[in-house]
Amino acid sequence: MKQFRKILKFELKNYLANKTFMGVTLFLMIAIMLVMFFPRLRDAFRSDSAAAPEDRGVIALGGQLAEQVQPAFADAFPDRDVAVFDGGAEAVRERVVSGEADCAFVIDSLTSYTYYVEDLSMYDGNTAVADAVLKTLYQAGAMIEGGFTPEAAEALLTVQIEHTVSSLGKDQMQNFFYTYIMIFALYMVILLYGQMVATNVGVEKSSRAMELLITSAKPVSMMFGKVLASCLAGLVQLVAVFGSALVFYKLNSGYWGDNLIIRSMFNMPVDLFLYMLLFFVLGFFIYAFLYGAIGSTSSKLEDVNTAVMPITFVFIIAFVVVMFSMGSGNVDTVLMKVCSFVPLTSPMAMFTRIAMSTVPVYEIVISVVILILSAVGIGVVSAKIYRVGVLLYGTRPKLGQLLKAIYKA
Amino acid sequence: MRLEIRDIEKSFGEKQVLKGVSLIAEGGRAFGLLGRNGAGKTTTIRILMDVFPADGGQVLLDGRPIDYGKVSFGYLPEERGLYPKKKIIDQLVYFTELHGLRRADAVKASDRWLERLGMAEYRNKRLDTLSKGNQQKIQLITALAHDPDIVILDEPFSGLDPVNAMLLKDVVKEEIARGKIVLFSSHQMNYIEEFCDRIAILNDGRVAIAGDLAEIKRGYPRDRLAVRAGAAEKIRAAFGPACRTMEDGTLLLTLESPDKKAQVMRDLTEHFDIDEIRVFEPSLNDIFVEYAGDEKGA
Repeated sequence: MKQFRKILKFELKNYLANKTFMGVTLFLMIAIMLVMFFPRLRDAFRSDSAAAPEDRGVIALGGQLAEQVQPAFADAFPDRDVAVFDGGAEAVRERVVSGEADCAFVIDSLTSYTYYVEDLSMYDGNTAVADAVLKTLYQAGAMIEGGFTPEAAEALLTVQIEHTVSSLGKDQMQNFFYTYIMIFALYMVILLYGQMVATNVGVEKSSRAMELLITSAKPVSMMFGKVLASCLAGLVQLVAVFGSALVFYKLNSGYWGDNLIIRSMFNMPVDLFLYMLLFFVLGFFIYAFLYGAIGSTSSKLEDVNTAVMPITFVFIIAFVVVMFSMGSGNVDTVLMKVCSFVPLTSPMAMFTRIAMSTVPVYEIVISVVILILSAVGIGVVSAKIYRVGVLLYGTRPKLGQLLKAIYKA
Repeated sequence: MRLEIRDIEKSFGEKQVLKGVSLIAEGGRAFGLLGRNGAGKTTTIRILMDVFPADGGQVLLDGRPIDYGKVSFGYLPEERGLYPKKKIIDQLVYFTELHGLRRADAVKASDRWLERLGMAEYRNKRLDTLSKGNQQKIQLITALAHDPDIVILDEPFSGLDPVNAMLLKDVVKEEIARGKIVLFSSHQMNYIEEFCDRIAILNDGRVAIAGDLAEIKRGYPRDRLAVRAGAAEKIRAAFGPACRTMEDGTLLLTLESPDKKAQVMRDLTEHFDIDEIRVFEPSLNDIFVEYAGDEKGA
């Protein structure tokens, strides 16, 4: 235990005294500070130059009905200037090509038009808006022809339906953003620090310091000390980054107004945060142990990166599966359920399910118990690999040989 | 203190590396573990230090199975290696602490050893800024600073200049005088001969010969005389094929039997101009070549 503490202290000091580590952490904190202060800075600049006219986009209208539909388009696109141009479709198209207008509608009739735009964005919703405007105009015209007064027609067409949504489980709209950010943080930190553990062990092996280490300390203390140190270093970095984000947000919360994404991110429930911490630590341990063990089987530092690739792949696949199911909105697919019990994927998969759907308590307990048991198991096995790893200089051992050696150790 | 290795066996995969190795080393005396490359020296040392277990056999201390929690080892591995990018004092203190010393004591011990080996000025330097010989001295401190009961030195003299070799010799002699078990492994026979009372020569995973070095030497038939004389030519002529000239010019006379020793010595001193005459004992080098030489495949 005493040895373990010494190793932990030594390894942790290595991280915290590392200039790159501190530099990256500081850089991230400053970047987050700038992001969080951005609305305040923007407002400060805006109040100085309030007189300057805002650069509003222009929508060009053409065709026979342009004049008639202009007021309705102007209402539908309140943040743009809707201008009518004469001269036929060709002339209107020219406005878009020359950049005078962002886009153009050439209205042939109330049921048919052509939309011109320079680059069609993935999220271009202008045609949907135009469809709705023209549809309403067409329906209003038909209703008036059929004997409705214009007022009655308008009342009918603009009727408002009131609805209230009451989510009994989780609100994915609310949870999506912070789950996304948390999963991404989990992914980044485990990948970065896991590989750091592998590299550190690789350095010890190639500098032959390992020879002295295994005769000075128990491999289990060695492995757990190293992994816990990098886990703590990762946590320190996470706390620094997210903590500073929270502090800077609090300082500027007034300026963010009701930005849904930002507000939902900083209103994360405490229990979810605790789950995040639990799955982070357990997931980190499993991967860091594996990375450490694999690092110890490569005799040269250059080999470490290729040797750890299988582990990295498994992790990336888990990440992609989780991201896809988050994107699809259904996080309770069979695949996700299986993934949330398999130790290598469960830290991300189970956390996502907890965050974005309603998971029975027993499932969470089973998943966490499996995770804890495998973390300890993998830890002990990787300590054994570390111990026999020192003998394996030269060619990398075949898996069978390695397992045999571990079994004997 | 008496360290005993009894019938140790070890295989790696198909290859049996140790085939029943037994050794006895005692406190206050140095023990030399010899053998050609691949004979099983490092494996024996690693089993002794519990890096991995033996397939069979025992390690005993004072007759009882060794308790690794209570005995401390100091190890200078043949493959030297520490953290190249770290400050020297930091890693010395770290390794000393790993052996159970409190931090303050570890700092004190490390500083004392840096002073003792004339390395105090490098205390706050990074290891990779030092020359090879100086790095070796730092490595030696990691083996000794925690005041271990058993010191294992694998090729301690390789890479040291004569001045540093002398310094190391003094240090080793001190450790032996303090009653420690010192185990040497080396190919430099002159150093082993200088320090070690007992030796064992490993050959292909077996102990080819082990015991008190002086006794081993005395065990050879005492039927040869080493002679240094001004009139070498005359002696050679008188003894014919029984006289051989060694590399350093000394004459080696092989007698018909050891009983003739006294007679031949008298005759020589009467008839020739003799500078020195003694019963020839084989050097450790000769013994090594004889017992470790005809090993297959090493």
